[in-house]
Amino acid sequence: MAVFEDLSLQERMLLSFEAQEFLYREAALLDEKKLDEWLALLTEDIHYWMPLRRTTTAKEVDREFTRPGDMALFDDDLQTLNLRVRRLGMGRAWAEDPPSRTRRMVTNIRILRCEGDEILTTCNFQLYRTRLNSEEDSWIGRREDLLRRVDGELRLARRHIFLEQTVILAQNMSNLF
Amino acid sequence: MAESLIATGRAPWFDVEHGVLDRRIYTDPDIYAEELEKIFARAWNFVCHETQIPDPGDFFMNYIGEDEVIVVRDRSGAIQVLLNSCPHRGNTVCRAEQGHTNSFLCSYHGWNFDLTGGLIGMPGEDTFYRNDVDKSEWGLGRAAQVASYKGFVFATLDPEAPPLEDYLGWVGRLGIDTLATHGDLVAVDGVVKNRIKCNWKLAVDNLYDWYHVKISHGSALRAGLLTDEAMAPMDQMVILGEYGHGIGGPGMSEEQQAEFDARMASGKGEPQWYDLQAQRRLDPAVRETLGPIGTRCLGHPNIFPNLWIALTRQVCLRIPRGPFETELWWFTFMPKDISEEERRHTMFMANHVFGPAGLLEQDDGENWSHSTRGARGTVTRRQPLNFSMGRGHDRVEDDASGQHRIETVVNEHGQRWTYQAWQEWMLADNWQELIANHSMPPKGVV
Repeated sequence: MAVFEDLSLQERMLLSFEAQEFLYREAALLDEKKLDEWLALLTEDIHYWMPLRRTTTAKEVDREFTRPGDMALFDDDLQTLNLRVRRLGMGRAWAEDPPSRTRRMVTNIRILRCEGDEILTTCNFQLYRTRLNSEEDSWIGRREDLLRRVDGELRLARRHIFLEQTVILAQNMSNLF
Repeated sequence: MAESLIATGRAPWFDVEHGVLDRRIYTDPDIYAEELEKIFARAWNFVCHETQIPDPGDFFMNYIGEDEVIVVRDRSGAIQVLLNSCPHRGNTVCRAEQGHTNSFLCSYHGWNFDLTGGLIGMPGEDTFYRNDVDKSEWGLGRAAQVASYKGFVFATLDPEAPPLEDYLGWVGRLGIDTLATHGDLVAVDGVVKNRIKCNWKLAVDNLYDWYHVKISHGSALRAGLLTDEAMAPMDQMVILGEYGHGIGGPGMSEEQQAEFDARMASGKGEPQWYDLQAQRRLDPAVRETLGPIGTRCLGHPNIFPNLWIALTRQVCLRIPRGPFETELWWFTFMPKDISEEERRHTMFMANHVFGPAGLLEQDDGENWSHSTRGARGTVTRRQPLNFSMGRGHDRVEDDASGQHRIETVVNEHGQRWTYQAWQEWMLADNWQELIANHSMPPKGVV
């Protein structure tokens, strides 16, 4: 197992650059609503998960997120992500007709570890959304993305999304994070 | 509060005979204030499931109208529903949505309350207060009554409210039974919460609405999440109960039930839209609990005012946050002793159908928020809304079991009943008046 910190500076720079380019490109595809191209970046075994978050006392803060298998805002595999994308293209997907306008900021990207073909990254993000003339939503959070090299190209194999909201202050989450 | 709207002669808002509604009830701030008083502070409100707080000291925060309540299991094992407000300066004594504690310590001056809400003590009790405060009189406010039906805990802030089981009546109890008969239920960790800019009543009336499905949720049906037949079948059944409770949505006809039973016995025949729900009612003990009509009834129950019991092993509270905003809280339940496959299916449905990211519910919020917005226009709001679907064309049929129902096509009986009951709640000044004057479920042609 390669520990990221043990790599040479040059190796770390190359890996970081590659991971960043992937995450920026992937965010741009979502902003541009090129969702089929986005789906093509996912591995067959993708797990796309956004747990719930609750306000707890400081003493119980380890329980603020729900665990895998319990309730979640997203708990998707490739099939359900495909279903989400297919649904948007079907007509009568009213939450996105007229379409929302989104802009994703991806920042503070760090590599947590790398092992074999996989790179585990963390980043901060902001997803800003407006719709119609006056609706405005903004989500800020942290993601853990597992990138895997498949046939020489990076793919997204896991995305865990940790929002800074507890009660979701939006009428829907019709977009992807 | 402003002068009662009833006293000003602006009620009634709902023309029961014609099914016509004054849409100002969605936006008028005076009406909203009166609802908090006459509906939420008076009704039995769902506060949590017993399995959410299994051990002494476990608590869950909820709202009754805009009153914040702590639902907590005390040391004797009983469930207490306490107002989250210190009687010294009014500060909240609990800030977490759920958790475990030994007592509730006010963060302002340190008044400390036990798990029954009793005041244990405060800094300076002898030195500053000179032992003048009678602690037995200065505990946290408590719900007037707390009771539970099959694990679902309800509370009322009104001491005059009838007992929970009487309040629910057979229709409210049947509504809960449609979920409770799935097995020995345990709440799944995590209550999904989001905010929609709509009046709470629009969210409630929608749960009876099987008319919107093919349009509002057209994309989810076309994408194959659920089939048209299962989502909006022609066969509909409505059961109306006292105080505004009701069940509305799909229902199997007697012939369909007979077909299902014969198919299960012989193993021969084609799957039908009702199979998933009907299979949950194969056990004779479940049929005994639900009764002959309840067994065929596959619709959505609402426990008035705002608890929807969904078919996905979930319930949803529609919590008012002012006239223009509502919070939806989704609670999910898992029966013990089910197969891993069924457990996965339950979680799949719970995580993909409803909630803000749910493939169905994504498209609901905007309809309700724009319906609310429409009621704000000075002239627009003078135009009443049409709730007339099916009125005068259906009949309430009695059954030898005592259960009655309407068997028909897609309709608005449930919505009309909700607004009729809402109006009666608003016109009554107290429980005595409501008990004396509320409508019994209709008979004959409806």
